[in-house]
Amino acid sequence: MSDEILIKAEARTEFGKGAARRARRAGKVPAVIYGHGAEPIHVSLPGHDAMMALKQANALLTIELDGTKQLALAKDVQRDPIKPVIEHIDLVTVKRGEKVVVDIPVHVEGQAGPDTIVQLDAPTLSVEAEATHLPESITVSVEGLAAGTQITAGEVTLPQGSALAVDADLLVVNVTAQISAEALEADLAESEGGAEEAPAAEEASESE
Amino acid sequence: MLIPRRVKHRKQHHPGRSGMSKGGNAISFGEFGLQALEPAYVTNRQIEAARIAMTRYMKRGGKVWINIYPDRPLTKKPAETRMGSGKGSPEWWVANVKPGRMLFEVSGVSEETAREAMRLAMHKLPMKCRFVAREGGDI
Repeated sequence: MSDEILIKAEARTEFGKGAARRARRAGKVPAVIYGHGAEPIHVSLPGHDAMMALKQANALLTIELDGTKQLALAKDVQRDPIKPVIEHIDLVTVKRGEKVVVDIPVHVEGQAGPDTIVQLDAPTLSVEAEATHLPESITVSVEGLAAGTQITAGEVTLPQGSALAVDADLLVVNVTAQISAEALEADLAESEGGAEEAPAAEEASESE
Repeated sequence: MLIPRRVKHRKQHHPGRSGMSKGGNAISFGEFGLQALEPAYVTNRQIEAARIAMTRYMKRGGKVWINIYPDRPLTKKPAETRMGSGKGSPEWWVANVKPGRMLFEVSGVSEETAREAMRLAMHKLPMKCRFVAREGGDI
Protein backbone atom coordinates (compact mmCIF):
# COMPACT_ATOMS: atom_id res chain seq x y z
CA MET A 1 0.00 0.00 0.00
CA SER A 2 2.61 2.50 -1.04
CA ASP A 3 0.54 4.26 -3.71
CA GLU A 4 0.70 7.92 -2.94
CA ILE A 5 -2.36 10.03 -3.58
CA LEU A 6 -1.71 13.58 -4.74
CA ILE A 7 -4.02 16.28 -3.38
CA LYS A 8 -3.64 19.94 -4.24
CA ALA A 9 -4.22 22.09 -1.17
CA GLU A 10 -4.84 25.79 -0.75
CA ALA A 11 -3.56 27.76 2.22
CA ARG A 12 -6.29 29.04 4.55
CA THR A 13 -6.08 32.65 5.64
CA GLU A 14 -9.36 33.01 7.53
CA PHE A 15 -10.33 30.83 10.46
CA GLY A 16 -13.29 30.06 12.70
CA LYS A 17 -16.61 28.33 12.12
CA GLY A 18 -17.86 30.98 9.67
CA ALA A 19 -14.87 30.58 7.39
CA ALA A 20 -14.92 26.79 7.79
CA ARG A 21 -18.58 26.65 6.83
CA ARG A 22 -17.97 28.87 3.79
CA ALA A 23 -15.18 26.50 2.73
CA ARG A 24 -17.43 23.46 3.16
CA ARG A 25 -20.20 25.13 1.13
CA ALA A 26 -17.62 25.64 -1.64
CA GLY A 27 -16.92 21.88 -1.64
CA LYS A 28 -13.68 22.08 0.32
CA VAL A 29 -12.56 20.44 3.54
CA PRO A 30 -10.64 22.43 6.18
CA ALA A 31 -7.51 20.62 7.29
CA VAL A 32 -4.39 21.18 9.34
CA ILE A 33 -0.91 19.76 8.68
CA TYR A 34 1.52 19.34 11.56
CA GLY A 35 4.37 17.17 12.76
CA HIS A 36 8.15 17.04 13.24
CA GLY A 37 8.02 20.08 15.52
CA ALA A 38 7.05 22.43 12.67
CA GLU A 39 4.42 25.16 12.90
CA PRO A 40 0.97 23.86 11.92
CA ILE A 41 -0.18 24.77 8.40
CA HIS A 42 -3.91 25.44 7.87
CA VAL A 43 -5.11 24.34 4.45
CA SER A 44 -8.29 23.48 2.62
CA LEU A 45 -8.49 20.36 0.47
CA PRO A 46 -10.86 19.57 -2.41
CA GLY A 47 -13.78 17.75 -0.75
CA HIS A 48 -14.30 14.95 -3.27
CA ASP A 49 -10.60 14.15 -3.65
CA ALA A 50 -10.15 14.05 0.12
CA MET A 51 -13.17 11.78 0.55
CA MET A 52 -11.97 9.36 -2.16
CA ALA A 53 -8.43 9.31 -0.71
CA LEU A 54 -9.65 8.54 2.80
CA LYS A 55 -11.75 5.56 1.69
CA GLN A 56 -8.50 3.62 1.95
CA ALA A 57 -7.31 2.99 5.53
CA ASN A 58 -4.00 4.73 6.36
CA ALA A 59 -3.69 6.24 2.91
CA LEU A 60 -0.38 8.01 2.29
CA LEU A 61 -1.17 11.44 0.87
CA THR A 62 1.08 13.82 -1.02
CA ILE A 63 -0.12 17.32 -0.25
CA GLU A 64 0.92 19.91 -2.82
CA LEU A 65 0.88 23.41 -1.38
CA ASP A 66 2.30 26.39 -3.29
CA GLY A 67 4.48 24.13 -5.44
CA THR A 68 5.96 22.17 -2.52
CA LYS A 69 5.03 18.57 -1.90
CA GLN A 70 4.73 17.01 1.54
CA LEU A 71 3.95 13.42 2.55
CA ALA A 72 1.23 13.11 5.17
CA LEU A 73 -0.98 10.57 6.89
CA ALA A 74 -4.50 11.26 8.14
CA LYS A 75 -4.31 11.27 11.92
CA ASP A 76 -7.89 12.24 12.70
CA VAL A 77 -10.92 12.64 10.45
CA GLN A 78 -14.06 14.38 11.71
CA ARG A 79 -17.15 13.20 9.88
CA ASP A 80 -20.80 14.20 10.04
CA PRO A 81 -22.64 11.47 12.02
CA ILE A 82 -25.38 11.16 9.38
CA LYS A 83 -24.24 12.57 6.06
CA PRO A 84 -21.25 11.14 4.21
CA VAL A 85 -19.37 14.43 4.64
CA ILE A 86 -15.89 15.05 6.01
CA GLU A 87 -15.82 18.12 8.25
CA HIS A 88 -12.13 18.40 9.12
CA ILE A 89 -8.91 16.43 8.67
CA ASP A 90 -5.78 16.39 10.82
CA LEU A 91 -2.76 15.43 8.74
CA VAL A 92 0.57 14.48 10.24
CA THR A 93 3.68 14.91 8.12
CA VAL A 94 5.92 11.89 7.53
CA LYS A 95 9.24 11.37 5.83
CA ARG A 96 10.33 8.60 3.50
CA GLY A 97 11.81 5.75 5.48
CA GLU A 98 10.35 7.01 8.74
CA LYS A 99 8.63 4.43 10.92
CA VAL A 100 5.15 5.33 12.15
CA VAL A 101 2.58 3.63 14.38
CA VAL A 102 -0.78 3.17 12.69
CA ASP A 103 -3.96 1.18 13.35
CA ILE A 104 -4.41 -1.55 10.74
CA PRO A 105 -7.84 -3.19 10.27
CA VAL A 106 -8.06 -6.90 11.13
CA HIS A 107 -9.98 -9.23 8.80
CA VAL A 108 -11.16 -12.68 9.81
CA GLU A 109 -11.26 -15.41 7.17
CA GLY A 110 -12.34 -19.02 7.18
CA GLN A 111 -15.10 -20.94 8.91
CA ALA A 112 -14.68 -21.81 12.57
CA GLY A 113 -15.83 -25.17 13.93
CA PRO A 114 -19.52 -26.09 14.27
CA ASP A 115 -21.66 -24.38 16.95
CA THR A 116 -19.20 -21.53 17.50
CA ILE A 117 -19.36 -17.74 17.32
CA VAL A 118 -16.29 -15.81 16.18
CA GLN A 119 -15.89 -12.49 17.99
CA LEU A 120 -13.42 -9.94 16.73
CA ASP A 121 -12.37 -8.27 19.98
CA ALA A 122 -9.78 -5.97 18.41
CA PRO A 123 -11.01 -4.68 15.03
CA THR A 124 -7.70 -2.84 14.54
CA LEU A 125 -4.14 -3.54 15.64
CA SER A 126 -1.48 -0.91 16.21
CA VAL A 127 1.64 -1.74 14.24
CA GLU A 128 4.88 0.06 13.56
CA ALA A 129 5.80 0.18 9.89
CA GLU A 130 7.55 2.32 7.35
CA ALA A 131 5.34 5.23 6.33
CA THR A 132 5.72 4.49 2.62
CA HIS A 133 5.02 0.76 3.03
CA LEU A 134 2.04 0.56 5.38
CA PRO A 135 0.12 -2.71 5.30
CA GLU A 136 -3.50 -2.46 4.15
CA SER A 137 -4.95 -5.07 6.50
CA ILE A 138 -4.09 -8.02 8.71
CA THR A 139 -5.80 -11.33 8.03
CA VAL A 140 -6.49 -13.84 10.78
CA SER A 141 -7.65 -17.34 9.83
CA VAL A 142 -10.18 -19.05 12.11
CA GLU A 143 -10.59 -22.12 9.88
CA GLY A 144 -11.77 -25.07 11.95
CA LEU A 145 -11.08 -23.47 15.34
CA ALA A 146 -12.99 -24.96 18.27
CA ALA A 147 -14.94 -23.08 20.94
CA GLY A 148 -12.68 -21.64 23.61
CA THR A 149 -9.86 -20.77 21.23
CA GLN A 150 -8.36 -17.33 21.67
CA ILE A 151 -5.97 -15.61 19.29
CA THR A 152 -3.83 -12.89 20.83
CA ALA A 153 -1.92 -10.11 19.10
CA GLY A 154 1.34 -12.00 19.54
CA GLU A 155 -0.03 -14.97 17.58
CA VAL A 156 -1.13 -12.90 14.58
CA THR A 157 1.10 -13.10 11.50
CA LEU A 158 2.00 -9.53 10.64
CA PRO A 159 2.84 -8.35 7.11
CA GLN A 160 6.53 -8.13 6.29
CA GLY A 161 8.28 -5.02 7.58
CA SER A 162 5.81 -4.32 10.38
CA ALA A 163 6.16 -4.84 14.11
CA LEU A 164 3.52 -5.03 16.79
CA ALA A 165 3.04 -1.80 18.77
CA VAL A 166 0.61 -3.18 21.36
CA ASP A 167 0.80 -5.74 24.14
CA ALA A 168 1.29 -9.24 22.71
CA ASP A 169 -1.37 -10.54 25.14
CA LEU A 170 -4.11 -8.34 23.63
CA LEU A 171 -7.07 -10.52 22.66
CA VAL A 172 -7.83 -10.21 18.96
CA VAL A 173 -10.20 -13.06 18.12
CA ASN A 174 -12.29 -15.04 20.59
CA VAL A 175 -14.09 -18.19 19.46
CA THR A 176 -16.97 -18.97 21.82
CA ALA A 177 -19.61 -21.67 21.92
CA GLN A 178 -23.08 -20.86 20.65
CA ILE A 179 -25.86 -20.67 23.20
CA SER A 180 -27.89 -23.88 23.22
CA ALA A 181 -31.33 -23.87 21.57
CA GLU A 182 -33.02 -24.63 24.91
CA ALA A 183 -31.20 -21.82 26.73
CA LEU A 184 -32.06 -19.38 23.94
CA GLU A 185 -35.74 -20.33 24.01
CA ALA A 186 -35.81 -20.07 27.80
CA ASP A 187 -34.17 -16.63 27.66
CA LEU A 188 -36.61 -15.35 25.04
CA ALA A 189 -39.63 -16.82 26.85
CA GLU A 190 -38.49 -15.20 30.09
CA SER A 191 -37.97 -11.83 28.37
CA GLU A 192 -41.38 -11.94 26.74
CA GLY A 193 -43.11 -13.19 29.88
CA GLY A 194 -41.49 -10.69 32.20
CA ALA A 195 -42.42 -7.70 30.05
CA GLU A 196 -45.73 -6.99 31.82
CA GLU A 197 -44.65 -4.98 34.80
CA ALA A 198 -41.27 -3.64 35.71
CA PRO A 199 -40.73 -2.29 39.21
CA ALA A 200 -40.13 1.43 39.47
CA ALA A 201 -36.65 2.48 40.40
CA GLU A 202 -36.04 3.61 43.94
CA GLU A 203 -35.06 7.16 44.65
CA ALA A 204 -31.76 7.57 46.43
CA SER A 205 -32.17 9.16 49.84
CA GLU A 206 -30.83 12.66 50.47
CA SER A 207 -28.21 11.42 52.93
CA GLU A 208 -26.49 9.27 50.28
CA MET B 1 -36.21 -5.26 30.73
CA LEU B 2 -33.68 -2.46 31.23
CA ILE B 3 -34.48 -0.20 34.19
CA PRO B 4 -32.25 1.77 36.56
CA ARG B 5 -31.95 0.16 39.97
CA ARG B 6 -31.93 3.49 41.82
CA VAL B 7 -32.05 7.10 40.72
CA LYS B 8 -31.18 10.42 42.33
CA HIS B 9 -34.50 12.03 41.36
CA ARG B 10 -37.60 9.98 40.58
CA LYS B 11 -39.19 12.67 38.40
CA GLN B 12 -37.11 14.61 35.92
CA HIS B 13 -37.68 17.29 33.32
CA HIS B 14 -38.15 16.07 29.77
CA PRO B 15 -34.78 15.41 28.09
CA GLY B 16 -33.79 17.83 25.32
CA ARG B 17 -34.62 16.69 21.81
CA SER B 18 -32.45 19.00 19.73
CA GLY B 19 -29.01 18.45 18.23
CA MET B 20 -27.05 15.54 16.93
CA SER B 21 -25.48 12.67 18.79
CA LYS B 22 -22.10 13.70 20.20
CA GLY B 23 -20.65 10.24 20.68
CA GLY B 24 -21.49 6.59 20.15
CA ASN B 25 -21.91 7.27 16.42
CA ALA B 26 -19.60 4.54 15.19
CA ILE B 27 -19.58 0.76 15.38
CA SER B 28 -17.49 -0.12 18.44
CA PHE B 29 -18.11 -3.78 19.26
CA GLY B 30 -19.73 -5.72 16.42
CA GLU B 31 -19.54 -5.88 12.64
CA PHE B 32 -22.91 -4.36 11.79
CA GLY B 33 -24.96 -1.68 13.47
CA LEU B 34 -28.33 0.05 13.55
CA GLN B 35 -28.01 3.84 13.48
CA ALA B 36 -30.74 6.32 14.42
CA LEU B 37 -31.53 8.97 11.81
CA GLU B 38 -34.05 10.97 13.85
CA PRO B 39 -34.35 12.08 17.48
CA ALA B 40 -36.65 9.96 19.67
CA TYR B 41 -37.42 8.76 23.17
CA VAL B 42 -36.88 4.98 22.99
CA THR B 43 -38.61 3.17 25.85
CA ASN B 44 -37.20 0.12 27.57
CA ARG B 45 -40.05 -1.94 26.09
CA GLN B 46 -39.10 -0.89 22.56
CA ILE B 47 -35.44 -1.72 23.21
CA GLU B 48 -36.43 -5.14 24.54
CA ALA B 49 -38.82 -5.80 21.64
CA ALA B 50 -36.09 -4.92 19.13
CA ARG B 51 -33.57 -7.14 20.90
CA ILE B 52 -35.99 -10.08 20.97
CA ALA B 53 -36.83 -9.60 17.27
CA MET B 54 -33.14 -9.66 16.36
CA THR B 55 -32.29 -12.60 18.61
CA ARG B 56 -35.26 -14.62 17.32
CA TYR B 57 -34.18 -14.09 13.73
CA MET B 58 -30.49 -14.75 14.26
CA LYS B 59 -31.31 -17.77 16.44
CA ARG B 60 -28.09 -19.06 18.00
CA GLY B 61 -25.80 -17.52 15.43
CA GLY B 62 -24.75 -14.13 16.65
CA LYS B 63 -24.16 -11.71 19.45
CA VAL B 64 -26.15 -8.53 20.06
CA TRP B 65 -24.93 -5.38 21.83
CA ILE B 66 -27.37 -2.75 23.10
CA ASN B 67 -25.63 0.63 23.05
CA ILE B 68 -28.39 2.73 24.62
CA TYR B 69 -29.82 2.68 28.13
CA PRO B 70 -33.26 3.96 29.23
CA ASP B 71 -32.13 6.11 32.16
CA ARG B 72 -34.65 8.99 31.92
CA PRO B 73 -38.12 8.69 33.53
CA LEU B 74 -41.16 10.24 31.82
CA THR B 75 -44.23 11.01 33.91
CA LYS B 76 -47.92 11.00 33.07
CA LYS B 77 -50.95 12.40 34.88
CA PRO B 78 -53.93 10.04 35.11
CA ALA B 79 -56.79 10.49 32.62
CA GLU B 80 -59.60 12.92 33.50
CA THR B 81 -57.54 14.67 36.14
CA ARG B 82 -57.69 18.42 36.73
CA MET B 83 -54.51 20.34 36.12
CA GLY B 84 -52.29 21.11 39.08
CA SER B 85 -51.68 19.01 42.19
CA GLY B 86 -48.11 18.33 41.24
CA LYS B 87 -46.29 16.29 38.65
CA GLY B 88 -47.68 12.95 37.51
CA SER B 89 -46.20 9.59 38.37
CA PRO B 90 -43.35 7.97 36.43
CA GLU B 91 -44.81 5.97 33.56
CA TRP B 92 -41.95 5.14 31.18
CA TRP B 93 -38.19 4.82 31.16
CA VAL B 94 -36.65 6.16 27.99
CA ALA B 95 -33.29 6.55 26.29
CA ASN B 96 -32.91 10.00 24.77
CA VAL B 97 -31.66 9.13 21.28
CA LYS B 98 -30.34 11.75 18.88
CA PRO B 99 -29.57 11.37 15.16
CA GLY B 100 -26.40 9.43 14.44
CA ARG B 101 -26.51 7.27 17.56
CA MET B 102 -25.58 3.60 17.10
CA LEU B 103 -28.45 1.78 18.83
CA PHE B 104 -27.57 -1.89 18.41
CA GLU B 105 -24.61 -3.83 17.09
CA VAL B 106 -24.36 -7.44 16.02
CA SER B 107 -21.56 -9.80 15.08
CA GLY B 108 -21.04 -13.43 14.23
CA VAL B 109 -23.61 -13.53 11.40
CA SER B 110 -23.56 -12.90 7.66
CA GLU B 111 -24.47 -9.48 6.30
CA GLU B 112 -27.79 -10.72 4.89
CA THR B 113 -28.82 -12.19 8.25
CA ALA B 114 -27.74 -9.04 10.10
CA ARG B 115 -29.57 -6.82 7.63
CA GLU B 116 -32.82 -8.75 7.98
CA ALA B 117 -32.51 -8.92 11.79
CA MET B 118 -31.95 -5.15 11.90
CA ARG B 119 -34.90 -4.57 9.57
CA LEU B 120 -37.14 -6.46 11.98
CA ALA B 121 -35.71 -4.46 14.90
CA MET B 122 -36.31 -1.15 13.07
CA HIS B 123 -40.03 -1.90 13.03
CA LYS B 124 -40.06 -1.99 16.84
CA LEU B 125 -38.45 1.45 17.16
CA PRO B 126 -40.12 4.88 17.04
CA MET B 127 -37.77 6.56 14.53
CA LYS B 128 -36.10 6.09 11.17
CA CYS B 129 -32.92 4.04 11.34
CA ARG B 130 -30.43 2.60 8.92
CA PHE B 131 -28.23 -0.45 8.71
CA VAL B 132 -24.48 0.22 8.70
CA ALA B 133 -21.49 -2.05 8.26
CA ARG B 134 -18.14 -1.55 9.97
CA GLU B 135 -16.10 -0.69 6.90
CA GLY B 136 -18.35 2.09 5.75
CA GLY B 137 -19.63 0.14 2.78
CA ASP B 138 -23.30 0.75 3.34
CA ILE B 139 -23.88 4.40 4.15
